[in-house]
Amino acid sequence: MHIPDGFLSTPVWLGLDVVSLPAVGYVARRARRELEETRIPLLGVMGAFVFAAQMINFPVGAGTSGHLVGSALLAITLGPGAAAVVMTAILGIQAFVFQDGGVLALGANVFNMAFAGVLAGYLPYHFWGPRRLAFIAGGALSVLAGAALAIVELLVSGVPVPRPALLVSSGIFAVTALLEGLITAAVLEGIEKLNPGFIRKPEKTRPRALAVVGLTAVLLAAVGVLFASAYPDGLESLAESIGIADRARTLFATPLMDYEAQFFGSPWMQKAAAGLAGLALIYGVCLMIGRYVRRQRRA
Amino acid sequence: MHHVVIERWSRGSSVLHSRDARIKLLVTLGYLIALATTPGLTLARAALYAVPIAAGIQLGRLPAGALLARAAVVLPFSATFALFSVIAGDTARAVSLVVKSYLSAAAVLVLVGTTPLPKLLRGMELLGAPRMLTLVVQFLFRYLFVISEHAQHMRLAALCRGSGGARLRFRAAAGAVAVLFARSFGRAEGIHRAMLARGFSGETPALPMVIDAVDVLFLIVGLAAALALRVIPL
Repeated sequence: MHIPDGFLSTPVWLGLDVVSLPAVGYVARRARRELEETRIPLLGVMGAFVFAAQMINFPVGAGTSGHLVGSALLAITLGPGAAAVVMTAILGIQAFVFQDGGVLALGANVFNMAFAGVLAGYLPYHFWGPRRLAFIAGGALSVLAGAALAIVELLVSGVPVPRPALLVSSGIFAVTALLEGLITAAVLEGIEKLNPGFIRKPEKTRPRALAVVGLTAVLLAAVGVLFASAYPDGLESLAESIGIADRARTLFATPLMDYEAQFFGSPWMQKAAAGLAGLALIYGVCLMIGRYVRRQRRA
Repeated sequence: MHHVVIERWSRGSSVLHSRDARIKLLVTLGYLIALATTPGLTLARAALYAVPIAAGIQLGRLPAGALLARAAVVLPFSATFALFSVIAGDTARAVSLVVKSYLSAAAVLVLVGTTPLPKLLRGMELLGAPRMLTLVVQFLFRYLFVISEHAQHMRLAALCRGSGGARLRFRAAAGAVAVLFARSFGRAEGIHRAMLARGFSGETPALPMVIDAVDVLFLIVGLAAALALRVIPL
Protein backbone atom coordinates (compact mmCIF):
# COMPACT_ATOMS: atom_id res chain seq x y z
CA MET A 1 0.00 0.00 0.00
CA HIS A 2 1.73 3.14 -1.23
CA ILE A 3 0.54 6.41 0.29
CA PRO A 4 0.09 9.16 -2.33
CA ASP A 5 0.74 12.84 -1.68
CA GLY A 6 -2.07 14.83 -0.12
CA PHE A 7 -3.01 12.22 2.47
CA LEU A 8 -0.54 12.72 5.30
CA SER A 9 -0.57 15.80 7.52
CA THR A 10 2.55 17.95 7.40
CA PRO A 11 4.05 16.77 10.72
CA VAL A 12 3.71 13.15 9.60
CA TRP A 13 5.22 13.32 6.11
CA LEU A 14 7.84 15.85 7.12
CA GLY A 15 8.80 13.88 10.23
CA LEU A 16 9.11 10.61 8.31
CA ASP A 17 11.07 12.27 5.48
CA VAL A 18 13.44 13.74 8.03
CA VAL A 19 13.89 10.31 9.64
CA SER A 20 13.94 8.07 6.56
CA LEU A 21 15.94 9.93 3.95
CA PRO A 22 19.13 10.42 6.03
CA ALA A 23 18.71 6.83 7.25
CA VAL A 24 18.68 5.62 3.63
CA GLY A 25 21.89 7.57 3.04
CA TYR A 26 23.50 5.97 6.06
CA VAL A 27 22.43 2.44 5.09
CA ALA A 28 23.58 2.99 1.48
CA ARG A 29 27.00 4.22 2.55
CA ARG A 30 27.41 1.35 5.02
CA ALA A 31 26.21 -1.22 2.51
CA ARG A 32 28.66 0.15 -0.05
CA ARG A 33 31.57 -0.11 2.39
CA GLU A 34 30.64 -3.62 3.47
CA LEU A 35 29.76 -5.21 0.14
CA GLU A 36 32.08 -5.88 -2.72
CA GLU A 37 31.34 -3.63 -5.68
CA THR A 38 29.86 -6.60 -7.60
CA ARG A 39 26.86 -5.93 -5.46
CA ILE A 40 25.85 -2.64 -7.09
CA PRO A 41 24.74 -4.17 -10.43
CA LEU A 42 23.35 -7.09 -8.41
CA LEU A 43 21.18 -4.83 -6.24
CA GLY A 44 19.78 -3.05 -9.30
CA VAL A 45 19.04 -6.28 -11.14
CA MET A 46 17.39 -7.79 -8.07
CA GLY A 47 15.19 -4.70 -7.82
CA ALA A 48 14.16 -5.29 -11.42
CA PHE A 49 13.54 -8.93 -10.49
CA VAL A 50 11.07 -7.93 -7.77
CA PHE A 51 9.16 -5.73 -10.25
CA ALA A 52 9.08 -8.56 -12.79
CA ALA A 53 8.17 -11.25 -10.25
CA GLN A 54 5.05 -9.26 -9.41
CA MET A 55 3.72 -10.14 -12.88
CA ILE A 56 3.56 -13.81 -11.98
CA ASN A 57 0.20 -14.59 -10.40
CA PHE A 58 -0.29 -16.95 -7.51
CA PRO A 59 -3.76 -18.51 -7.37
CA VAL A 60 -5.38 -17.95 -3.97
CA GLY A 61 -8.60 -19.78 -4.67
CA ALA A 62 -12.09 -18.45 -5.37
CA GLY A 63 -10.84 -17.14 -8.68
CA THR A 64 -8.57 -14.48 -7.19
CA SER A 65 -4.82 -14.32 -7.27
CA GLY A 66 -2.05 -12.48 -5.48
CA HIS A 67 1.58 -11.73 -6.14
CA LEU A 68 4.89 -11.43 -4.35
CA VAL A 69 5.67 -8.20 -2.46
CA GLY A 70 9.27 -9.18 -1.99
CA SER A 71 10.79 -7.32 0.97
CA ALA A 72 11.22 -10.47 3.09
CA LEU A 73 12.62 -12.42 0.12
CA LEU A 74 15.19 -9.67 -0.52
CA ALA A 75 16.08 -9.35 3.16
CA ILE A 76 16.76 -13.08 3.44
CA THR A 77 18.71 -13.46 0.19
CA LEU A 78 20.68 -10.16 0.13
CA GLY A 79 20.81 -9.21 3.82
CA PRO A 80 18.75 -6.47 5.48
CA GLY A 81 21.01 -3.50 4.61
CA ALA A 82 21.16 -4.29 0.90
CA ALA A 83 17.44 -5.17 0.87
CA ALA A 84 16.59 -1.76 2.37
CA VAL A 85 18.58 -0.05 -0.41
CA VAL A 86 16.86 -2.13 -3.12
CA MET A 87 13.40 -1.50 -1.66
CA THR A 88 14.12 2.24 -1.50
CA ALA A 89 15.17 2.16 -5.16
CA ILE A 90 11.95 0.32 -6.06
CA LEU A 91 9.80 2.79 -4.10
CA GLY A 92 11.62 5.70 -5.74
CA ILE A 93 10.94 4.34 -9.26
CA GLN A 94 7.32 3.66 -8.31
CA ALA A 95 6.83 7.20 -6.98
CA PHE A 96 8.52 9.05 -9.84
CA VAL A 97 7.85 6.86 -12.89
CA PHE A 98 4.63 5.01 -12.05
CA GLN A 99 2.86 7.54 -9.75
CA ASP A 100 2.49 4.74 -7.22
CA GLY A 101 3.05 6.60 -3.95
CA GLY A 102 3.76 10.29 -3.47
CA VAL A 103 7.08 12.10 -3.64
CA LEU A 104 6.63 13.94 -0.35
CA ALA A 105 5.24 10.71 1.11
CA LEU A 106 8.33 8.81 -0.07
CA GLY A 107 9.86 9.06 3.41
CA ALA A 108 6.75 7.47 4.90
CA ASN A 109 6.62 4.71 2.28
CA VAL A 110 10.35 4.02 2.66
CA PHE A 111 9.93 3.87 6.42
CA ASN A 112 6.97 1.46 6.18
CA MET A 113 8.29 -0.89 3.52
CA ALA A 114 12.05 -0.47 3.12
CA PHE A 115 12.84 -0.25 6.84
CA ALA A 116 10.02 -1.72 8.92
CA GLY A 117 9.02 -4.23 6.22
CA VAL A 118 12.56 -5.44 5.58
CA LEU A 119 13.43 -5.62 9.27
CA ALA A 120 10.21 -7.45 10.15
CA GLY A 121 10.82 -9.83 7.25
CA TYR A 122 14.40 -10.48 8.32
CA LEU A 123 14.07 -10.93 12.09
CA PRO A 124 12.38 -14.38 12.16
CA TYR A 125 15.04 -15.73 9.79
CA HIS A 126 17.74 -14.08 11.88
CA PHE A 127 16.60 -15.82 15.04
CA TRP A 128 15.26 -19.13 13.70
CA GLY A 129 17.63 -19.70 10.81
CA PRO A 130 16.60 -21.00 7.38
CA ARG A 131 13.45 -22.99 8.00
CA ARG A 132 10.01 -22.86 6.46
CA LEU A 133 8.26 -21.35 9.48
CA ALA A 134 10.77 -18.49 9.63
CA PHE A 135 10.22 -17.74 5.92
CA ILE A 136 6.44 -17.75 6.34
CA ALA A 137 6.61 -15.59 9.47
CA GLY A 138 9.03 -13.19 7.76
CA GLY A 139 6.87 -12.74 4.69
CA ALA A 140 3.72 -12.29 6.77
CA LEU A 141 5.31 -9.89 9.27
CA SER A 142 6.84 -7.74 6.53
CA VAL A 143 3.41 -7.13 4.98
CA LEU A 144 1.70 -6.64 8.35
CA ALA A 145 4.32 -4.17 9.58
CA GLY A 146 4.12 -2.07 6.40
CA ALA A 147 0.32 -2.08 6.25
CA ALA A 148 -0.16 -1.38 9.97
CA LEU A 149 2.25 1.55 9.85
CA ALA A 150 0.54 2.98 6.77
CA ILE A 151 -2.87 2.76 8.45
CA VAL A 152 -1.55 4.37 11.63
CA GLU A 153 0.04 7.19 9.63
CA LEU A 154 -3.22 7.83 7.79
CA LEU A 155 -5.24 7.81 11.03
CA VAL A 156 -2.73 10.09 12.77
CA SER A 157 -3.02 12.44 9.78
CA GLY A 158 -6.76 12.59 10.42
CA VAL A 159 -7.91 10.69 7.32
CA PRO A 160 -11.22 9.24 8.45
CA VAL A 161 -11.45 5.46 8.13
CA PRO A 162 -14.83 4.09 9.33
CA ARG A 163 -14.57 1.16 11.69
CA PRO A 164 -16.16 -1.36 9.27
CA ALA A 165 -13.64 -0.38 6.59
CA LEU A 166 -10.86 -0.74 9.15
CA LEU A 167 -12.07 -4.24 9.99
CA VAL A 168 -12.41 -5.25 6.34
CA SER A 169 -8.98 -3.94 5.44
CA SER A 170 -7.46 -5.67 8.48
CA GLY A 171 -8.92 -8.90 7.17
CA ILE A 172 -7.53 -8.26 3.69
CA PHE A 173 -4.12 -7.45 5.15
CA ALA A 174 -4.16 -10.67 7.19
CA VAL A 175 -4.89 -12.74 4.06
CA THR A 176 -2.27 -10.84 2.02
CA ALA A 177 0.25 -11.33 4.79
CA LEU A 178 -0.35 -15.07 4.99
CA LEU A 179 -0.12 -15.32 1.20
CA GLU A 180 3.14 -13.37 1.17
CA GLY A 181 4.50 -15.73 3.80
CA LEU A 182 3.54 -18.80 1.78
CA ILE A 183 4.92 -17.35 -1.47
CA THR A 184 8.18 -16.29 0.20
CA ALA A 185 8.66 -19.76 1.68
CA ALA A 186 7.80 -21.54 -1.58
CA VAL A 187 10.12 -19.32 -3.64
CA LEU A 188 12.99 -19.65 -1.16
CA GLU A 189 12.60 -23.43 -1.20
CA GLY A 190 12.59 -23.32 -4.98
CA ILE A 191 15.81 -21.27 -4.96
CA GLU A 192 17.37 -23.75 -2.56
CA LYS A 193 16.42 -26.59 -4.91
CA LEU A 194 18.04 -24.81 -7.88
CA ASN A 195 21.17 -23.74 -6.03
CA PRO A 196 21.71 -25.94 -2.99
CA GLY A 197 23.50 -24.03 -0.24
CA PHE A 198 22.49 -20.62 -1.61
CA ILE A 199 20.49 -19.75 1.49
CA ARG A 200 22.91 -19.96 4.35
CA LYS A 201 22.34 -19.48 8.02
CA PRO A 202 22.31 -15.81 8.93
CA GLU A 203 25.59 -14.57 10.35
CA LYS A 204 25.36 -14.56 14.09
CA THR A 205 28.26 -12.19 14.60
CA ARG A 206 26.33 -9.05 15.43
CA PRO A 207 22.84 -9.81 16.67
CA ARG A 208 23.23 -6.97 19.13
CA ALA A 209 24.09 -4.50 16.39
CA LEU A 210 20.90 -5.44 14.54
CA ALA A 211 18.82 -5.03 17.69
CA VAL A 212 20.44 -1.63 18.29
CA VAL A 213 19.69 -0.54 14.72
CA GLY A 214 16.09 -1.70 15.07
CA LEU A 215 15.61 0.04 18.40
CA THR A 216 17.25 3.22 17.15
CA ALA A 217 14.90 3.25 14.17
CA VAL A 218 11.90 2.95 16.48
CA LEU A 219 13.21 5.61 18.87
CA LEU A 220 14.06 7.99 16.05
CA ALA A 221 10.64 7.49 14.53
CA ALA A 222 8.93 8.00 17.88
CA VAL A 223 10.95 11.11 18.64
CA GLY A 224 10.30 12.35 15.10
CA VAL A 225 6.56 11.89 15.46
CA LEU A 226 6.56 13.48 18.92
CA PHE A 227 8.75 16.35 17.87
CA ALA A 228 6.89 17.02 14.66
CA SER A 229 3.56 16.97 16.46
CA ALA A 230 4.83 19.12 19.30
CA TYR A 231 6.24 21.78 17.01
CA PRO A 232 4.05 22.03 13.93
CA ASP A 233 5.91 23.77 11.16
CA GLY A 234 5.95 27.50 10.70
CA LEU A 235 3.07 27.56 8.25
CA GLU A 236 0.77 25.84 10.70
CA SER A 237 1.68 28.09 13.58
CA LEU A 238 1.00 31.00 11.27
CA ALA A 239 -2.41 29.53 10.55
CA GLU A 240 -2.90 29.09 14.27
CA SER A 241 -2.31 32.76 14.92
CA ILE A 242 -4.86 33.71 12.27
CA GLY A 243 -7.37 31.34 13.78
CA ILE A 244 -7.65 28.60 11.16
CA ALA A 245 -6.22 26.16 13.67
CA ASP A 246 -9.51 25.62 15.49
CA ARG A 247 -11.15 24.56 12.29
CA ALA A 248 -8.19 22.37 11.36
CA ARG A 249 -8.19 20.72 14.75
CA THR A 250 -11.66 19.32 14.29
CA LEU A 251 -10.39 17.84 11.03
CA PHE A 252 -7.81 15.96 13.07
CA ALA A 253 -10.43 14.08 15.08
CA THR A 254 -9.92 10.45 14.16
CA PRO A 255 -11.90 7.33 14.92
CA LEU A 256 -8.85 6.02 16.76
CA MET A 257 -9.08 8.87 19.22
CA ASP A 258 -12.48 7.85 20.53
CA TYR A 259 -11.10 4.93 22.40
CA GLU A 260 -7.65 6.32 22.81
CA ALA A 261 -5.89 7.00 26.09
CA GLN A 262 -7.83 9.88 27.59
CA PHE A 263 -5.14 10.92 30.04
CA PHE A 264 -3.15 12.62 27.31
CA GLY A 265 -4.62 16.10 27.29
CA SER A 266 -3.60 17.86 24.10
CA PRO A 267 -4.47 16.69 20.60
CA TRP A 268 -0.84 16.40 19.50
CA MET A 269 -0.15 14.09 22.42
CA GLN A 270 -2.99 11.89 21.26
CA LYS A 271 -1.66 11.83 17.74
CA ALA A 272 1.83 11.03 18.90
CA ALA A 273 0.55 8.37 21.28
CA ALA A 274 -1.42 6.65 18.54
CA GLY A 275 1.62 6.64 16.28
CA LEU A 276 3.88 5.39 19.03
CA ALA A 277 1.47 2.66 20.04
CA GLY A 278 1.36 1.34 16.48
CA LEU A 279 5.12 1.35 16.14
CA ALA A 280 5.72 -0.15 19.56
CA LEU A 281 3.20 -2.90 18.95
CA ILE A 282 4.80 -4.13 15.73
CA TYR A 283 8.36 -3.99 16.93
CA GLY A 284 7.40 -5.44 20.27
CA VAL A 285 5.84 -8.46 18.59
CA CYS A 286 8.88 -8.99 16.36
CA LEU A 287 11.37 -8.64 19.18
CA MET A 288 9.42 -10.83 21.57
CA ILE A 289 9.07 -13.68 19.10
CA GLY A 290 12.78 -13.46 18.44
CA ARG A 291 13.76 -13.38 22.08
CA TYR A 292 11.44 -16.26 22.96
CA VAL A 293 12.91 -18.45 20.25
CA ARG A 294 16.46 -17.59 21.22
CA ARG A 295 15.79 -18.54 24.84
CA GLN A 296 14.23 -21.81 23.72
CA ARG A 297 17.32 -22.61 21.74
CA ARG A 298 19.70 -21.86 24.57
CA ALA A 299 17.75 -24.05 26.97
CA MET B 1 4.21 -0.74 -22.04
CA HIS B 2 3.64 2.34 -19.91
CA HIS B 3 7.21 3.20 -19.02
CA VAL B 4 8.33 3.47 -22.64
CA VAL B 5 5.80 6.25 -23.16
CA ILE B 6 7.19 8.38 -20.39
CA GLU B 7 10.77 7.77 -21.54
CA ARG B 8 9.82 8.95 -25.03
CA TRP B 9 8.28 12.14 -23.60
CA SER B 10 11.40 12.83 -21.58
CA ARG B 11 13.59 12.65 -24.71
CA GLY B 12 11.70 15.48 -26.40
CA SER B 13 12.95 19.03 -26.70
CA SER B 14 11.35 22.15 -25.28
CA VAL B 15 12.10 25.04 -22.95
CA LEU B 16 11.24 22.78 -20.06
CA HIS B 17 13.31 19.84 -21.31
CA SER B 18 16.45 21.98 -21.49
CA ARG B 19 16.16 23.27 -17.90
CA ASP B 20 18.64 21.89 -15.37
CA ALA B 21 17.32 18.80 -13.54
CA ARG B 22 18.14 20.29 -10.11
CA ILE B 23 16.09 23.39 -10.87
CA LYS B 24 13.11 21.34 -12.05
CA LEU B 25 13.34 19.12 -8.97
CA LEU B 26 13.39 22.13 -6.63
CA VAL B 27 10.48 23.85 -8.37
CA THR B 28 8.44 20.62 -8.34
CA LEU B 29 9.19 20.14 -4.64
CA GLY B 30 8.17 23.74 -3.96
CA TYR B 31 4.87 23.15 -5.74
CA LEU B 32 4.25 19.84 -3.94
CA ILE B 33 5.01 21.34 -0.52
CA ALA B 34 2.77 24.36 -1.16
CA LEU B 35 -0.05 22.05 -2.27
CA ALA B 36 0.42 19.59 0.61
CA THR B 37 0.47 22.28 3.31
CA THR B 38 -2.59 24.17 2.02
CA PRO B 39 -5.25 23.78 4.71
CA GLY B 40 -8.88 23.33 3.66
CA LEU B 41 -8.32 23.28 -0.09
CA THR B 42 -11.28 24.91 -1.87
CA LEU B 43 -12.21 24.24 -5.49
CA ALA B 44 -11.27 27.82 -6.39
CA ARG B 45 -7.75 27.35 -5.03
CA ALA B 46 -7.56 23.90 -6.66
CA ALA B 47 -8.24 25.61 -10.00
CA LEU B 48 -5.35 27.98 -9.27
CA TYR B 49 -3.09 25.02 -8.48
CA ALA B 50 -4.00 23.47 -11.83
CA VAL B 51 -2.57 26.47 -13.70
CA PRO B 52 1.14 25.51 -13.26
CA ILE B 53 0.34 21.95 -14.43
CA ALA B 54 -1.27 23.34 -17.59
CA ALA B 55 1.69 25.69 -18.06
CA GLY B 56 4.10 22.79 -17.60
CA ILE B 57 2.27 20.66 -20.17
CA GLN B 58 2.26 23.59 -22.60
CA LEU B 59 5.92 24.57 -22.06
CA GLY B 60 7.08 20.94 -22.13
CA ARG B 61 4.98 20.15 -25.24
CA LEU B 62 3.61 17.13 -23.43
CA PRO B 63 0.47 15.29 -24.63
CA ALA B 64 -2.10 16.75 -22.23
CA GLY B 65 -4.70 14.00 -22.49
CA ALA B 66 -2.25 11.15 -22.02
CA LEU B 67 -0.55 12.86 -19.08
CA LEU B 68 -3.81 13.66 -17.29
CA ALA B 69 -5.00 10.08 -17.88
CA ARG B 70 -1.77 8.67 -16.44
CA ALA B 71 -2.08 10.85 -13.34
CA ALA B 72 -5.49 9.24 -12.79
CA VAL B 73 -3.81 6.06 -11.49
CA VAL B 74 -3.97 7.63 -8.01
CA LEU B 75 -7.74 8.07 -8.21
CA PRO B 76 -8.92 4.59 -7.10
CA PHE B 77 -6.94 4.94 -3.86
CA SER B 78 -8.01 8.57 -3.29
CA ALA B 79 -11.62 7.90 -4.21
CA THR B 80 -11.86 5.13 -1.60
CA PHE B 81 -10.70 7.43 1.18
CA ALA B 82 -12.75 10.32 -0.21
CA LEU B 83 -15.79 8.08 0.10
CA PHE B 84 -14.89 7.38 3.74
CA SER B 85 -14.62 11.15 4.32
CA VAL B 86 -18.03 11.75 2.77
CA ILE B 87 -19.51 9.03 4.99
CA ALA B 88 -17.86 10.71 7.98
CA GLY B 89 -19.58 13.94 6.87
CA ASP B 90 -16.39 15.71 5.85
CA THR B 91 -16.87 16.64 2.17
CA ALA B 92 -14.15 19.30 2.33
CA ARG B 93 -11.57 16.64 3.16
CA ALA B 94 -12.88 14.37 0.41
CA VAL B 95 -12.33 17.13 -2.17
CA SER B 96 -8.92 17.92 -0.73
CA LEU B 97 -7.74 14.27 -0.81
CA VAL B 98 -8.74 13.73 -4.45
CA VAL B 99 -7.48 17.09 -5.73
CA LYS B 100 -4.19 17.03 -3.83
CA SER B 101 -3.24 13.49 -4.79
CA TYR B 102 -4.24 14.00 -8.44
CA LEU B 103 -2.44 17.33 -8.89
CA SER B 104 0.67 15.99 -7.10
CA ALA B 105 0.81 13.02 -9.47
CA ALA B 106 0.34 15.33 -12.48
CA ALA B 107 3.15 17.63 -11.26
CA VAL B 108 5.55 14.68 -10.89
CA LEU B 109 4.57 13.52 -14.38
CA VAL B 110 5.45 16.94 -15.81
CA LEU B 111 8.85 16.61 -14.09
CA VAL B 112 9.64 13.07 -15.30
CA GLY B 113 8.03 13.74 -18.69
CA THR B 114 10.55 16.51 -19.36
CA THR B 115 13.63 15.02 -17.64
CA PRO B 116 15.31 11.77 -18.74
CA LEU B 117 15.92 9.50 -15.75
CA PRO B 118 19.77 9.67 -15.86
CA LYS B 119 19.60 13.47 -15.68
CA LEU B 120 16.98 13.37 -12.93
CA LEU B 121 19.14 10.99 -10.87
CA ARG B 122 22.26 13.09 -11.46
CA GLY B 123 20.30 16.11 -10.25
CA MET B 124 19.29 14.22 -7.11
CA GLU B 125 22.92 13.24 -6.54
CA LEU B 126 24.05 16.86 -6.79
CA LEU B 127 21.31 17.74 -4.29
CA GLY B 128 22.71 15.16 -1.84
CA ALA B 129 21.24 11.74 -2.69
CA PRO B 130 23.80 8.96 -2.06
CA ARG B 131 25.55 7.85 -5.27
CA MET B 132 25.15 4.19 -4.44
CA LEU B 133 21.37 4.55 -4.34
CA THR B 134 21.19 6.41 -7.65
CA LEU B 135 23.45 3.77 -9.25
CA VAL B 136 21.14 1.02 -8.01
CA VAL B 137 18.14 2.90 -9.43
CA GLN B 138 19.93 3.24 -12.81
CA PHE B 139 20.60 -0.49 -12.96
CA LEU B 140 17.07 -1.25 -11.81
CA PHE B 141 15.53 0.88 -14.53
CA ARG B 142 17.92 -0.44 -17.18
CA TYR B 143 17.09 -4.10 -16.48
CA LEU B 144 13.44 -3.60 -15.54
CA PHE B 145 12.30 -4.18 -19.13
CA VAL B 146 14.72 -7.03 -19.82
CA ILE B 147 13.64 -9.03 -16.79
CA SER B 148 9.96 -8.07 -17.09
CA GLU B 149 9.95 -9.48 -20.60
CA HIS B 150 11.50 -12.66 -19.29
CA ALA B 151 8.77 -12.87 -16.65
CA GLN B 152 6.09 -12.34 -19.32
CA HIS B 153 7.50 -15.23 -21.34
CA MET B 154 7.47 -17.47 -18.30
CA ARG B 155 3.90 -16.47 -17.50
CA LEU B 156 2.79 -17.23 -21.02
CA ALA B 157 4.61 -20.57 -20.95
CA ALA B 158 2.93 -21.49 -17.66
CA LEU B 159 -0.49 -20.57 -19.13
CA CYS B 160 0.22 -22.73 -22.20
CA ARG B 161 1.19 -25.70 -20.07
CA GLY B 162 -2.32 -25.49 -18.77
CA SER B 163 -4.36 -26.08 -15.74
CA GLY B 164 -4.21 -28.29 -12.70
CA GLY B 165 -5.55 -27.48 -9.27
CA ALA B 166 -4.83 -24.24 -7.44
CA ARG B 167 -2.23 -26.02 -5.32
CA LEU B 168 -0.37 -27.23 -8.38
CA ARG B 169 -0.49 -23.81 -10.04
CA PHE B 170 0.73 -22.17 -6.83
CA ARG B 171 3.76 -24.46 -6.81
CA ALA B 172 4.36 -23.82 -10.50
CA ALA B 173 4.26 -20.04 -9.91
CA ALA B 174 6.69 -20.38 -6.98
CA GLY B 175 9.00 -22.42 -9.19
CA ALA B 176 8.82 -19.77 -11.91
CA VAL B 177 9.71 -16.99 -9.47
CA ALA B 178 12.60 -19.08 -8.12
CA VAL B 179 13.93 -19.65 -11.65
CA LEU B 180 13.53 -15.94 -12.39
CA PHE B 181 15.49 -15.16 -9.21
CA ALA B 182 18.33 -17.53 -10.10
CA ARG B 183 18.52 -16.22 -13.68
CA SER B 184 18.47 -12.58 -12.52
CA PHE B 185 21.23 -13.36 -10.04
CA GLY B 186 23.31 -15.06 -12.72
CA ARG B 187 22.63 -12.24 -15.14
CA ALA B 188 23.82 -9.67 -12.59
CA GLU B 189 27.14 -11.50 -12.24
CA GLY B 190 27.50 -11.65 -16.01
CA ILE B 191 26.72 -7.95 -16.30
CA HIS B 192 29.32 -7.12 -13.70
CA ARG B 193 32.01 -9.19 -15.44
CA ALA B 194 31.18 -7.57 -18.76
CA MET B 195 31.43 -4.13 -17.17
CA LEU B 196 34.80 -4.97 -15.61
CA ALA B 197 36.04 -6.15 -19.00
CA ARG B 198 35.08 -2.75 -20.41
CA GLY B 199 37.01 -0.91 -17.73
CA PHE B 200 34.36 -0.28 -15.03
CA SER B 201 36.05 0.85 -11.83
CA GLY B 202 33.07 1.22 -9.49
CA GLU B 203 32.03 4.59 -10.91
CA THR B 204 30.03 5.53 -13.96
CA PRO B 205 31.00 8.79 -15.67
CA ALA B 206 28.98 11.67 -14.23
CA LEU B 207 26.79 13.71 -16.55
CA PRO B 208 27.97 17.31 -16.73
CA MET B 209 25.35 19.78 -15.54
CA VAL B 210 25.38 23.54 -15.82
CA ILE B 211 22.91 26.06 -14.45
CA ASP B 212 22.43 29.06 -16.75
CA ALA B 213 20.65 32.39 -16.33
CA VAL B 214 17.33 31.03 -17.66
CA ASP B 215 17.51 28.26 -15.03
CA VAL B 216 17.95 30.81 -12.25
CA LEU B 217 15.03 32.84 -13.57
CA PHE B 218 12.90 29.68 -13.82
CA LEU B 219 13.76 28.76 -10.24
CA ILE B 220 12.82 32.19 -8.90
CA VAL B 221 9.58 32.39 -10.89
CA GLY B 222 8.66 28.77 -10.06
CA LEU B 223 9.17 29.10 -6.31
CA ALA B 224 7.49 32.51 -6.21
CA ALA B 225 4.50 31.04 -8.04
CA ALA B 226 4.30 28.14 -5.57
CA LEU B 227 4.40 30.55 -2.64
CA ALA B 228 1.79 32.79 -4.26
CA LEU B 229 -0.58 29.85 -4.84
CA ARG B 230 -0.22 28.96 -1.17
CA VAL B 231 -0.84 32.41 0.34
CA ILE B 232 -3.06 34.37 -2.10
CA PRO B 233 -6.32 35.03 -0.22
CA LEU B 234 -9.42 33.84 -2.04
